Amino acid sequence: MIFAPSPATPLSRWQLAWLAALVVLAQVPLWTHLRLWIVIAGSGLVALRIALPADRPPPARLRRWLLPLLALAVALSIRWDFGYFLARDPCVAFLYVLVGIKFVEAKSPRDGGLLVCLALFLALTQFFYGQSIASAAIALPAVLVLGGALATLRDTSAATNEWKAPLAATARMLLQGIPLAALLFVVFPRLAGPLWGAPADAGAHSGLSDRMAPGAISELSLSDTVAFRVDFNGPPPPPAQRYWRGPVLSRFDGFEWSMLPWVGRGALAPPGARAIEYTVTLEPHNRSWLFALEHPRSLPRPAEDDPFASPGPVRDIAVLTYDQQLLATAPVTQAIRYTQRSTLADSFAARGDADRRDNLQLPRRNPRTIEFARELKSRAISDRAYIAAVLDWFRKESFTYTLAPPLLEGDTVDAFLFDTRRGFCEHYAGAFVVLLRAAGIPARVVTGYQGGEINPNGGYMIVRDSDAHAWAEALIAGTWQRFDPTAAVAPSRVERGLGAALPQGEPVPYLARLDMTWLKSLRLHWDAVNYQWQRGVVGFNLERQRDLLRDFGLSGARPWQVVALVAAVAFAWGLAILGFARARHARSDPAVALWSRLCRRLGRAGLPRRTDEGPLAYARRAASRWPQWSELLQRIGETYAALRYGPDDGARDQRIAALRKSIAALPRGRTMRS
Amino acid sequence: MSTAANPRSWIASWRQRLWRIAPADPGVVVLRHRRIYILPTRRGLALIATLAIMLLTSMNYSLSLGHALTFLVAGLVASALLQTYRNLAGIAASPLAAGEAFAGGQVAFTLSLANAGAARQAIVVTSRSGGSVSVDLPATATRQVQLTVPAPRRGRLALGRVTLSTDFPLGLWRGWAYVHFPVTGIVYPAPESPAPHLPPGLQGSDFRRSARAADAELAGLRDYHPGDPLNRIAWKAVARGAGWYTKQFEGTGGSGTLEFHWAELPPGFDTEARLSRLAAWILAAEREARAFGLTLPGVDLPAGSGAGHRRAALCALALFPPERAP
Repeated sequence: MIFAPSPATPLSRWQLAWLAALVVLAQVPLWTHLRLWIVIAGSGLVALRIALPADRPPPARLRRWLLPLLALAVALSIRWDFGYFLARDPCVAFLYVLVGIKFVEAKSPRDGGLLVCLALFLALTQFFYGQSIASAAIALPAVLVLGGALATLRDTSAATNEWKAPLAATARMLLQGIPLAALLFVVFPRLAGPLWGAPADAGAHSGLSDRMAPGAISELSLSDTVAFRVDFNGPPPPPAQRYWRGPVLSRFDGFEWSMLPWVGRGALAPPGARAIEYTVTLEPHNRSWLFALEHPRSLPRPAEDDPFASPGPVRDIAVLTYDQQLLATAPVTQAIRYTQRSTLADSFAARGDADRRDNLQLPRRNPRTIEFARELKSRAISDRAYIAAVLDWFRKESFTYTLAPPLLEGDTVDAFLFDTRRGFCEHYAGAFVVLLRAAGIPARVVTGYQGGEINPNGGYMIVRDSDAHAWAEALIAGTWQRFDPTAAVAPSRVERGLGAALPQGEPVPYLARLDMTWLKSLRLHWDAVNYQWQRGVVGFNLERQRDLLRDFGLSGARPWQVVALVAAVAFAWGLAILGFARARHARSDPAVALWSRLCRRLGRAGLPRRTDEGPLAYARRAASRWPQWSELLQRIGETYAALRYGPDDGARDQRIAALRKSIAALPRGRTMRS
Repeated sequence: MSTAANPRSWIASWRQRLWRIAPADPGVVVLRHRRIYILPTRRGLALIATLAIMLLTSMNYSLSLGHALTFLVAGLVASALLQTYRNLAGIAASPLAAGEAFAGGQVAFTLSLANAGAARQAIVVTSRSGGSVSVDLPATATRQVQLTVPAPRRGRLALGRVTLSTDFPLGLWRGWAYVHFPVTGIVYPAPESPAPHLPPGLQGSDFRRSARAADAELAGLRDYHPGDPLNRIAWKAVARGAGWYTKQFEGTGGSGTLEFHWAELPPGFDTEARLSRLAAWILAAEREARAFGLTLPGVDLPAGSGAGHRRAALCALALFPPERAP
């Protein structure tokens, strides 16, 4: 019972144009995400086919030999270029070129159908690389053209170049399908994790890294990308206390700082007066760390509007490490939203001697720095006095805070402290920790974000990559104390952000600047829209789904109940659409609507109209059945017949009015039945 | 005993309901949901499979917009299903006319498709053995559709089950419904070819006599056709080895009334050959505008002429032996 259109008919020029539009709409969003040669190959093939004389498929020899060979060559090239093939990105690249090859090869409407399927899947792959409002907006015309292409492929005989009607028909069907699509979007079960292991290769890491070389954070600071957004449950903390703790770097090899391997669990900060609660919406960065204000008082929990409403144990999504980092149990590959409590403090109690040992290690380099540190230490009466002296030295000497420091070589700390004296926060934090370690004080670098901007449209805080920061921690008398040497050089960095701290002329990212131009205000409005988009649509994951279902009282529903609900809604939806179509048709001709209402009434009264009976014959039969209204019935039949089959003599409206009046004059059904 | 209690009749009624095997449909059939079937086409299956792969991908990579795109297209596919249904539902199909043909030709059947609702497009009407016709039905319009069915043998030819189908609007679904009207066309016997000459006709005489009476006035010879009476073959010419000829007599091409008798056809002919000969004669008589009578076992058609007479005669041949009237 499968209906196969005859494969012999070749693709018409018009069908080819629709397919080309679909393929191009599927390919364009991927342009910025693929290698140049793949883009050129895939789209070049499409252009080639369009440029070829239309209505004439490429010769059979080309189809049979050259194109499969081309596909094989592309596959091998991709394998050679990427170094692997069975992963997400090479497969997307291959599909991209394959769609082009299939387009060149397409000969019959059947090929066209296959091409439509391939292009649809290709349109999905753009979401691997971004799920912004823009990418959704690009996918919509692709779906419209998909419908148009299918309609044109179906109609093999049509040679019309009518393009509006298929689009309008598809748009109507899409609108009709939206209730069903929305329901499926909401209730279709979302997974907490992947089905198979593929997402491990998903996307490049963004944001902070687990190592810090000079230049790493200043590079990050040039980006306006949003790292996370925060909703505070109460007033936000003052800018100087917005230290979002991220990776803690204890190891130093003379050039680069890096994280220690797993050292054990840490202890949460004690509850204090300066407790604060907030919800973080973290953009995926493909790393496992989560961010919290210093210092976390609780483990992050999946955000819920009402934590008491969810029965059962709350699953831990992260652990707190020995050096007070929050590490998620899995890399953050999708936007997550967690509620976090912190106690605002710049110190916390250390736990034992392991800390001490790990944070005194220093390679045998940078002799001038070590000499300087020992000399300074010998004059200081205590560790604290020494640290104050170091910060004072930073403050007094002619250090410059800049995003464009000169390149350092050899003993980088020596070169920075005594020669160039121009650097960004990672230079200051790194050099500071080296100075402390050289003096025998355990210290380490902490990276994360400092600051954040309150968006007036929505009242939440935006933390961007340009807020990335590095500071230091020193172990003094059993307590880890935060020191920010950057603040000694450029106090406004901590108080007012990057834009205020950098000298004029530095390439500050646009949104990190302080002046509130209308453009920046527009960007903030746009960010508020984006935030809702991220929360409501892109971030619609297992947790949000549970929340929503709970709001509808469906949290306790069994799977079959949900399936039954969907089936019932789908059924009701179908009836509604069909009923709507019928009602709209009836509205289109009032005469027909009136006549069918009369037929229904007489049918209920026991005299249904036979399908082969015209209006006059039916009226005659009804008149003989109900002789008391025979004149009225006959007149109804004649008026309707004149309306439908008579000449258009301009009396249409009067006739319709007369018909309506006559039908209204008939008694109700009960009277007629008796 | 009710029909439901008898499993065999229960099965039969379901078979009839599902496949409309028997020509049991009343005069007008309005296509409703009980009659309409819908299954995905090959292209629809391919698209649904693509959607399934897209869904798996979206789940695996937690692509919220992937879910959205998949469900959006799924909504489009579901909506197309409704449109396919709507395109068929409510069409009133009825048989209008059944044609006639000679065996080996094609019988044309005319159906009427009435549309009481909104416009419908690309309704394909297919007969079981014949070709198919595609028709568009504008809103509240009635269209006639002609189906031709090959007629290999004489007799009655049933139209058989007719399928009304559509894959409008996107070609993703094919909806169809069976209608099986008890209409039959008539298939006449194939006229003998090459056409034999008419028997000589004489007013009120039978074939044999007319042949004998004409013996005296030999007009000439013509080529022999198989089935020519033995006594009119030019045996002398055959003996000379000059070939087979038949003697022709004055008066055979005249304008007298013809009488076609079953019994006077050559005895070596079987039934079908006789019917073919008679059909050819009827056509020839019609061509020459001569009145003719027809006598078959059980059928006696008085002499006459005209299209109605010709049709009656050909029908008698087509339906030979005559059906016993109840």
